[in-house]
Amino acid sequence: MTFFDHLLGGIASGSVIALMAIALVLVWRSTRVVNFAQVGQAMFTTFLALAVYRGTGNWLISLIAAILAGAILGLIVHFLVMRPVRRQDGSGAIIATFGVLIALQASASMIWGVDPQAYPPIVDIIGFEAFGRTWPFSRYDVLVLGVTVLLVLLLSVVFTRTSLGLRMRASAFNPTVARLSGVRVSQMLALGWALAGSIGAIAGVLIAPTFSVTPYSFDILLILAFTVAVIGGLDSLVGAVAFGIGTGLVLSLVSGYSDSGNASIVALVLLALNLLLKPEGVFAHHHSRSV
Amino acid sequence: MKYHLPLTHPLLQTVDISVTLSGLKILDEVSIGIPEGSVTGLIGPNGAGKTTVFNVISGFVKPDSGKVKFDGKRLRHIKTHQLTKMGISRTLQGVGLFPSMSALENVMLGASVQARSGIVSNALAMPWVDAQQRRIREHAEAVMAELGVLEDAHRFPGDVPYPVQKRIALARALVSDPKVLLLDEPAGGISAGDMADLGRLIRSWVPERTVLLVEHHMELVMGVCDLIWVLDAGKVIAAGSPEEVRNDPAVLAAYLGEEVDV
Repeated sequence: MTFFDHLLGGIASGSVIALMAIALVLVWRSTRVVNFAQVGQAMFTTFLALAVYRGTGNWLISLIAAILAGAILGLIVHFLVMRPVRRQDGSGAIIATFGVLIALQASASMIWGVDPQAYPPIVDIIGFEAFGRTWPFSRYDVLVLGVTVLLVLLLSVVFTRTSLGLRMRASAFNPTVARLSGVRVSQMLALGWALAGSIGAIAGVLIAPTFSVTPYSFDILLILAFTVAVIGGLDSLVGAVAFGIGTGLVLSLVSGYSDSGNASIVALVLLALNLLLKPEGVFAHHHSRSV
Repeated sequence: MKYHLPLTHPLLQTVDISVTLSGLKILDEVSIGIPEGSVTGLIGPNGAGKTTVFNVISGFVKPDSGKVKFDGKRLRHIKTHQLTKMGISRTLQGVGLFPSMSALENVMLGASVQARSGIVSNALAMPWVDAQQRRIREHAEAVMAELGVLEDAHRFPGDVPYPVQKRIALARALVSDPKVLLLDEPAGGISAGDMADLGRLIRSWVPERTVLLVEHHMELVMGVCDLIWVLDAGKVIAAGSPEEVRNDPAVLAAYLGEEVDV
């Protein structure tokens, strides 16, 4: 394996990290909460999608099921947990997301058990053959990267080119002024949670074939996505994508040259360095929040 | 003594509004009326409760008692986001612009109340969303042109002078085509020359629109208002034409010791 091979191998996992980080960014932007339950939601919807796949034998239907379930689960968490908690106390909301994570993992263990399960990939996960060797980049990696790019483009268009995006950005930045401008802020917040749930669900289904699915196997993704979102500035979709893919590459190098167990340690070191050197995030807006 | 002024046709009206915040009586049975097609001023020394009146009308503050009437109908459980749809638009003290959005986007947000397309079609960026988006943008640009800030459309609020920011905020309030405009200190932080322009601008909106103005600059208030209400310590102490209010002994007493730039 060459240096280039390791980099190539990191693109797809980086894309999935980026998607999960985008989900965190969307929730942060709409409600100023870091949703630690996001990967729990993704794990849960991946199990649901797996059940749908086993029932129908159709990968695409299972993906659509995951997207819908992700949106619904996002709304459930938002309305049943976050809204009541936030009314009491803002910081309690973040702790509540941990509660949701634990509840989701416990429920998944009860429903589907803790034994590893395989989620079959839709296309070939073995690397391309060219120039007389196998490259660490497969059709599946192309699919993952393609879906990520497509989603990021779609979100960018919605946020910058539609009045819906304008209203979502306004609600996130200053709910009072947004309301005075006729924006139904509560609707925009709920939409942020639903959208984040769907994107997390897509990330879950995409990454599932690369490891065995258990109620706890997504935990590493939480650490990585959280690191990426914070380094990117929590507000920035561009930051989430850039650092998501960047982290994928770095981790692939770390795993390649040392041990895959070191990946999460490296991620946490990156996070610590970032918080020491540039706590507001690399891509954060530097505008003050006062009006 | 409660002050009552007979009004023939108030478009917007507060009736005996009382507000208590953390034990303090901020408003005490305040009844004011804003005649349709008028520029009406709401003045008073600092802490008189002027902005609280705005906050009650905007649904930010729930009054202990009393009611708000708009177009003859009582407004119950005012939801702030529905105001623009009803035809009431408000500016804030300062500018309240979104710093990460361009001037044009800030104004377009005010017009997005006209957006009829649903969440799904927006999310999928359907073609008709594009057409609607273009209409909203054209309308926003027209209002910006009217206020002389179109050339700043693609700049960010932080990059334009304060008086221009104020104009952009006004454009955002106007773009929803309101029947009533609530202006909270529109002249704050702008020069005398700009203030004269602002006065002419406000007069140009009536009688098609109705304006309620909270303002410290007496020159502007006296120059543009048809009717002035005076609040002091949460009570209405006087009302009338600028001439009547200027010579009212109760008003002079309330402002005694205050710096007034008449």
